[in-house]
Amino acid sequence: MVAFPYYPIGNSLYNVALSLFIPTIFFFFAGATYRIGRYLITYHSPLDVNPSMPLRGKVSGGEKIKDLVNTVANSSKVGAKRKPITTIVGLLMHLTLILIIFLLAQHMIFWAYYIPPYSALFPLAIPESAEDGLLALTMPGHPTTTMAYTFVNDIWGPLTVILNGQILTYLLMVFLAIYLAHKFYALAERLVIRAGDWWFFLLLFIDVVLGFLASSHIPNNVTWYDNLLGAHILVAEIIIATLPFTRGFHMFEFWFGKVREWYFMTFRRGAK
Amino acid sequence: MSTTITQQIDLEKLKQAIDEVVYTQIDSTILYYVQSCVNCKACEAGCPFSADGLEYSPVNKAEITRQLVRARFTVWGMTIGRVIGGAKKYLKLDEAQTLADYVWHCTDCGSCMFVCPMAIDSGALIELMKQISFKAGIIPKVYKELEDLEVSEKYWDIKEIQDIWNGLINKIGETIGKSVQLDKKNSEILLYSSLYEALVYPDVIIKTAKILDMLGKDWTFMSKPLGIRPPIGIVIGDSEGSVEVMKRIYEYFKEINPKYVIMTSGGYDYPTLRYRMHEILKVKPNYEVAHITEALAKWYEEGEFEIEQLDEVITWHDPCQLSKRGGVIEPPRVLLKALSKKFKELPNHGVNTLCCSGGGGSCSLPSTIENLAKMIGYTLDESDKKFLEDRVKSLKNAGKKKIEEINKIKPQKVLTGCPVCKESIGFSIDYYKADSKVYHIVEILADRIKVKGK
Repeated sequence: MVAFPYYPIGNSLYNVALSLFIPTIFFFFAGATYRIGRYLITYHSPLDVNPSMPLRGKVSGGEKIKDLVNTVANSSKVGAKRKPITTIVGLLMHLTLILIIFLLAQHMIFWAYYIPPYSALFPLAIPESAEDGLLALTMPGHPTTTMAYTFVNDIWGPLTVILNGQILTYLLMVFLAIYLAHKFYALAERLVIRAGDWWFFLLLFIDVVLGFLASSHIPNNVTWYDNLLGAHILVAEIIIATLPFTRGFHMFEFWFGKVREWYFMTFRRGAK
Repeated sequence: MSTTITQQIDLEKLKQAIDEVVYTQIDSTILYYVQSCVNCKACEAGCPFSADGLEYSPVNKAEITRQLVRARFTVWGMTIGRVIGGAKKYLKLDEAQTLADYVWHCTDCGSCMFVCPMAIDSGALIELMKQISFKAGIIPKVYKELEDLEVSEKYWDIKEIQDIWNGLINKIGETIGKSVQLDKKNSEILLYSSLYEALVYPDVIIKTAKILDMLGKDWTFMSKPLGIRPPIGIVIGDSEGSVEVMKRIYEYFKEINPKYVIMTSGGYDYPTLRYRMHEILKVKPNYEVAHITEALAKWYEEGEFEIEQLDEVITWHDPCQLSKRGGVIEPPRVLLKALSKKFKELPNHGVNTLCCSGGGGSCSLPSTIENLAKMIGYTLDESDKKFLEDRVKSLKNAGKKKIEEINKIKPQKVLTGCPVCKESIGFSIDYYKADSKVYHIVEILADRIKVKGK
């Protein structure tokens, strides 16, 4: 029996995935330019037909800021009141996803490699697990490098018991499953279900599962690890490259939509 | 859905209508509404017609427009989308029937936009469906008849209509004790009213005139209405007809040259005459179109009058077009807080107000439409009757939610600022036997305004 069997370094999906990252970003920007370009080409400058509105008066600066906050918060507030389950699941799903994508320690290293200033966020890093990786309160390590010290001494403190990659991933899988179930419900109700609903959710679900398996070393084998991690990155790259053509792009347009609503109501209508 | 209406569908005509509307109306806003929807169905929570069935939720209704746009303007829609769904160049008969059904299950109240996390106005997409529907001739005949009369101005040839309008002018004169100045140029205020308001709440017009007179304002009234409820074309999908009517209205406003055009209606005509008319005609008005509550709130705050208080629980139903589309939220509350210390907000108010389901695209109470039809000598056929019956079902479903929230705060008086809201909520109060009564705010204020120094 060979204790350390031959491992073909450089011959795994991991390397393929890494080498495709830059082309992925290129595709993303090309797609985003296409999408935004279409908006610009079809844009018509609105005619401001609002007279000085002496009867209604002007909206003050403070009111405008308050309006902006209300505008962004309104849909969640109304949703929580009238459709509490789907709204709360939706909010938690987004929160979990954002935490995992942008603050999971392993992901942060990846982002910081391509975007060096990202390392400024290292103190916010969330450990992969509360039980292993020597990056958590329950199993503190004694780091010898500056980078490891930053991760061990994060600002989350005892919160890392629940605020860690594993727990967040379990939650995310549950929330995504509820979302998928919601889609099946809509299908049963004969409501419109778009191809994009399945495509995006399915890719996301697969990607989360792949990331979970790789980071948990299931199965516990180096070749499997490299391939699973590679597949995880590859699926993420497909998601990123196709973002401008899928519902995933809402992460950028959400802000635009709400600011547009605010402009429409507060500036064009002078809502008071 | 009215089966008789769907039998009229001419698929060739519909194809032509789809091409005409979709190819000419695309702009960045519509593109955003098409591309950015994530199908989260949050808009269900805001739409009054979701109570009729989830298929009437805004995202589901607007999907027809999205599919037609995708088939023409997206790479996916022009290729794979046509095969696997999600993009349609034209509609089959059953899809056309669905379109005809959906367009009359939207009041364009705007709720979907404020509830949508992406701020998508599904009403704007359904309006495109309405234009397609109109061009393809899929429209309740009674609405077409009323609009034709309005566009051609022939409504004024009907003696009964003239009598109603002239009777209103006489009653205003009797109330203020002098003859009414008609079409007086350069007046500070033009009191604007449509024939519809003269029909459903003449008292509100008379009391508004009384208030203006009490306050010593320089005001004038119209010698004849500018339409039945102009421009009807906006709500039934006739963009060309509505432009003709808007031109007529704008010319009249320009000729009279008032400082303020004051209206008592907070229905679709408010945002149309205030904003949309000028946007479509590309003109900058030198007058301000305002709802009566905007004017009264301003004059009250400036100390022109006091308000004798009521010792009753009152509440305010925000008309959708006045609040969501028009941005008038605060002025009525200035007056209501002065009117009663027991003013209470409805659980859903402001931009989140629950629509009464009677306005915009639904065009009022079926009984009012029947009366109008009778007046113009139009006999409702079976398809019209079936269509109006379906409207009653929606009014009951939406009204139930409204009455439930009214009952939560148990007001003696529900005040509002729109003729259709007043009618629809009045209908629901009667149907569900609620203890409240509904009034236009002017009906209560007119007798409680005390002009300082008088």
